[in-house]
Amino acid sequence: MTGMRAYYLSRAVLSAAIGAFAVFAGSVWWIGIIVGVVSFAFFWLAPRLGRYAVHPEEGVTALRRDERLQSINAAAGLNAFVVSMLGLAGVIIYFGMLSARDVPVMVLEALLILGALVYYSTDFWLRRTQA
Amino acid sequence: MSLHNNLKDARLARALTQEALAARVGVTRQTIIAIEKAKFVPSVRLALELARALETPIDRLFWLDGKKGARS
Repeated sequence: MTGMRAYYLSRAVLSAAIGAFAVFAGSVWWIGIIVGVVSFAFFWLAPRLGRYAVHPEEGVTALRRDERLQSINAAAGLNAFVVSMLGLAGVIIYFGMLSARDVPVMVLEALLILGALVYYSTDFWLRRTQA
Repeated sequence: MSLHNNLKDARLARALTQEALAARVGVTRQTIIAIEKAKFVPSVRLALELARALETPIDRLFWLDGKKGARS
């Protein structure tokens, strides 16, 4: 049996198990089927989209990020962290010293969204420029 | 000093696709493309795995500016 064939067969079994788990957790049967199909679609697409390398010999954890993807993720995470921390520092200075009010929750949510946007935009940009 | 490589020629000499080489060394096809275009510098470990997969001495696959020793 070739490596990729073993990978797809094992992912089919895993997808069926995920769908069954959804049904046992209280979902209706057709939701379980959708969950199983979506799971298998993810496993089928993952190696093709270049987001993961397949290591069939690793069994359940066959999808791995290779070193280039790990370096991209690290750079994206670092950028998001720095931007979020600088934003947080600015917010603390503004609301603590200039405005003398409590920081609105909405502002903190906006900072989290900004961090996520920086992460995904860095990830997208590095994938485009390093391929 | 920049790193150059001969990966594409070595791969084609063995009639390997990017996908086949990627599978042999356990990375994505996009990583092989990035290395061939010199947009990504592989780790020593990956460089050694590529050299082994292509049955080529590592200094014929990768070299620094002005250090072509094994190629010349």
